[in-house]
Amino acid sequence: MNIIYQIAIIFSICWVGQIIESLLPFPFPASVAAMVLLFTLLCLRAVRVDHIREKSDFLLGNMAFFFIPAGVSIINYFDVLRSALLPLLVICLVTTVLTFAATAYSVRLTRYLMDRRKKQ
Amino acid sequence: MSELFASPFFGIALSVAAFWVGVRIQKRTGLVLCNPLLIAIVLVSAVLLLLRIPYEDYNAGGAVINMFLAPATACLAVSIYTKLPLLRENWLPILVGCAVGSLTSMGSVWGLCRLFRLDEAMTASLMPKSVTTPIAIGIAGSHGGIQAVTVVAVILTGILGSILAPVLIKLFRVEDPVEAGLAIGACSHAVGTSKALELGETEGAMSGLAIGVCGILTVLLSLALM
Repeated sequence: MNIIYQIAIIFSICWVGQIIESLLPFPFPASVAAMVLLFTLLCLRAVRVDHIREKSDFLLGNMAFFFIPAGVSIINYFDVLRSALLPLLVICLVTTVLTFAATAYSVRLTRYLMDRRKKQ
Repeated sequence: MSELFASPFFGIALSVAAFWVGVRIQKRTGLVLCNPLLIAIVLVSAVLLLLRIPYEDYNAGGAVINMFLAPATACLAVSIYTKLPLLRENWLPILVGCAVGSLTSMGSVWGLCRLFRLDEAMTASLMPKSVTTPIAIGIAGSHGGIQAVTVVAVILTGILGSILAPVLIKLFRVEDPVEAGLAIGACSHAVGTSKALELGETEGAMSGLAIGVCGILTVLLSLALM
């Protein structure tokens, strides 16, 4: 499909995501709402992957690049960083490693238990 | 001259140039620490600080790039959908993994905050730091946290996750792409997912899934625990 229609489909879904965000009573990001919505539309076959393939490949393939401005925005918060840089770095590092290991191993354990039950 | 830096073209061109340098350095050195995103952030920040260009001027272009984050996150649905059989087969491990991951993240932040004797406001700001920014600032805000601290912690965590992902996979011997993807998404949200997408289709899809599931679980946990 023409790229302009692909952009229109994806941006419309994102806009509906923002509408959902504004209606929900608790903090929930529009981007994740849009992700759930697009997933639902794909499952219902209302949108097919072919309709948005090139645009979605472009967006997913360059995802890291889109985070540059968010990362640079840290220079606005130097006062926060200066007051607690070391604890902040240690906390981010330690919890990232712990969370990674805990998630990976709990997925492995659950799959192992499921396999064992299936075999019995 | 200085008003020319407030043109959106300047911010976009600078970001692309910095990212290009980052990709080149990564290819040349092959070092995990030479992460293109990290290099680009450092280079852009250095240019802004050295030339005394206000962040607001750079952000005329930065906001345009930032706008693509929402559609990119939405398109993770495409990579999840193409792995639908994997999702059907693994819904329980996915749920258990994300629940354990979210609890570990919040629990370890709480413990470390006690260790460093950080106050209540600081603790509330850091507790949701492993989930995607909008959810994290929402949680921090409703529990008396400082949102600026949350933003910094979320971004730092994401960058750390995307740099460390290949190292952690080797260190903890996580060869399975489902385990690896979920672990990356659970510990470092969308920034980590950008790395997971580079590792493989399954890693990317599972990491994208973990952003949503961990985000929702963390909101629920914060209501119950904080």
